[in-house]
Amino acid sequence: MRLKSLLLSAAILAFGASSGAAEEFTIGLSNGWVGSEWRTQMIEEAEEAAKKWAGKGDTIKVVVQSANVDVPGQIAHIRNFISQGVNAIIINPNSPTAFDPVFAQAKEAGILVVSTDAEVSSPDAVYIGINQKAWAEAGAEWLAKAIGGKGNVVAINGVAGHPANEMRASGYREVFANYPDIKIVNEVNANWDQAQGQQAMQNLLATYPDLAGVWVQDGMAAGAWRSIADAKRTSNIAATGEIRKDFIDLWVKEGLNSGASVNPPGVMASALNVAVFMLKGRELTKPATDGQYKNSMYLPIPFVNSDNVKSVATALDGKPGFYSYTQSLSIDEAEALFK
Amino acid sequence: MDATLTSRGNWQSILGRYPFVPALIILIMLLVFNGMAEPNSLSFRSVNGLFKTYMALMFLAVAQTLVVSAADVDLSLGAILSLVNVTVVTTIGVFGDGPLAIVAACLVGVFVGFLCGLLNGFVVAGLNLQPIVATFATGVLFTGIALWVLPVAGMPVPSAYWRLYGGSVLGIPFIYYILAGLGLAIFLISRTTLMVKILAVGDDQQGAFQSGLPVTRIRISAYAYCGVFSAFAALCITGDTASGDPLVGNAMTLYSIAAVVLGGTALSGGKATLLGAAIGALTIGLINSLVFFVGTPSEWQNLVQGMSILVALMLGIFVSRRVEQ
Repeated sequence: MRLKSLLLSAAILAFGASSGAAEEFTIGLSNGWVGSEWRTQMIEEAEEAAKKWAGKGDTIKVVVQSANVDVPGQIAHIRNFISQGVNAIIINPNSPTAFDPVFAQAKEAGILVVSTDAEVSSPDAVYIGINQKAWAEAGAEWLAKAIGGKGNVVAINGVAGHPANEMRASGYREVFANYPDIKIVNEVNANWDQAQGQQAMQNLLATYPDLAGVWVQDGMAAGAWRSIADAKRTSNIAATGEIRKDFIDLWVKEGLNSGASVNPPGVMASALNVAVFMLKGRELTKPATDGQYKNSMYLPIPFVNSDNVKSVATALDGKPGFYSYTQSLSIDEAEALFK
Repeated sequence: MDATLTSRGNWQSILGRYPFVPALIILIMLLVFNGMAEPNSLSFRSVNGLFKTYMALMFLAVAQTLVVSAADVDLSLGAILSLVNVTVVTTIGVFGDGPLAIVAACLVGVFVGFLCGLLNGFVVAGLNLQPIVATFATGVLFTGIALWVLPVAGMPVPSAYWRLYGGSVLGIPFIYYILAGLGLAIFLISRTTLMVKILAVGDDQQGAFQSGLPVTRIRISAYAYCGVFSAFAALCITGDTASGDPLVGNAMTLYSIAAVVLGGTALSGGKATLLGAAIGALTIGLINSLVFFVGTPSEWQNLVQGMSILVALMLGIFVSRRVEQ
């Protein structure tokens, strides 16, 4: 395996990276949490994306490690990939900072490291995914407009201390701070759990009868909306939504006043397509230097609101209820990012 | 007939003296399987990596064994690990990153682990609360404090620290000095009178009390030592991850219990092997790697891992039972 990749890189050097010859790369995908269908869909879409490279004459082989692991367990994923001699690793990391030393080792072994869905601090890795803060800002902007720029709002967040959660929280706080008549009366954590989101919403509705808006993350939105419906408040509360088919269908049927920032499970597929061009030795037109760690490349964030929710529902037609609305960079779209 | 009896007798005496033997056999089998599936996984570098990755779990498993020996359990030690991890990195941040500051920060970390263990011992043995519930609650408390100390993961550790952990001293990877230290600690602790007393309490608390042993104090000591070893685990995590993360250890608690049982320690107390627990930690790591190296499809990996751990558990218990009959 290692010999093969060694020969391969030698071949690339010899023939020049831009030659259109068919190439073969092995890419390791590491996912450290399997608690939601979103992650499963993320892996499946990345595997599909790899297969599509055959149409371009290249062979992209993916090897996957996906299980509920602790941080050392995911470090072991990386070490296993290094032992195997993959060309690139794409990781949805369980910690933003804990992988610095092991990523350094991977880079020493000549492996390209890409993180997706959550940014990492390692200077030896590139982040290709959405900007979680901008994701939150888009939803907050929509909510602020939906309630006419005034009133009491609450936020239902994920896991305290989780980096994506903290980035999102800072995102909506900044947006609401621009609206002097909007007051955040409470912020609670419901651990990205739909049932806990529903429970939290019940409590909030009971505590604040004059609530105008709810900013709620991901799958918890379905739970929160259930409580809003139970309290017969769907007509006078606006709340952010989510992107799974079940909820989109409900949204269309009940005509909910909702808007959803899309964190598409296709991010890993996008990252894979970009990574392949990097492996081919191509150079990004705009280097990946965004974000707090200066190693990020942000992908566009789609937004679903009442104007386009019907077309989203059509796109999801025939999919299972837990399937998330998704988007990813095609091979050609990824190539457009390179010189 | 006679021959089988004696051989069974031999096995019995071996198992009696070295209860970690089944765990060791399973470990060697797993090493061989891993080597067959991916020869590179047995390279010097990969084996170093295995120890670097699982050293923290080995310490945690030893920590857990100390309380399990007394028929208690500690569901907070992952949280203790997180708290010590963030304490060490923030203390380094305050003191600066000279070698003395790093050593001082490590000592502070170990002291914090000790205090956490003491608190656990106090609520479980002193206040006589159910260990599962009580340490679950203190675990939530420790996580809360860790989040207060360091709200979001970050704070890089000085490179001197993690380069030492990942590097070599006198040509030998540093990780093997830690391994030797752990081995020595296991050897020494197994021979202390405290360990004998802990086991006596675990075997029969009432009997131990009636024979005049200070049961409460012994249980508190076990928790305090458990806290200290969790702190050692945190120092390893800090070396391997080079950062602070207030949630880093939470998922490790249950793995530590699995490692204890895989090693041949009874959760009912009174029968324990510290070395077995350390071996059990490596077993978990090797099972996870093997599941990947043999090419298990991603959607089955969690299931196969769980099943394999179960099989390893049953194998160990089966062997022990056969020999004991």
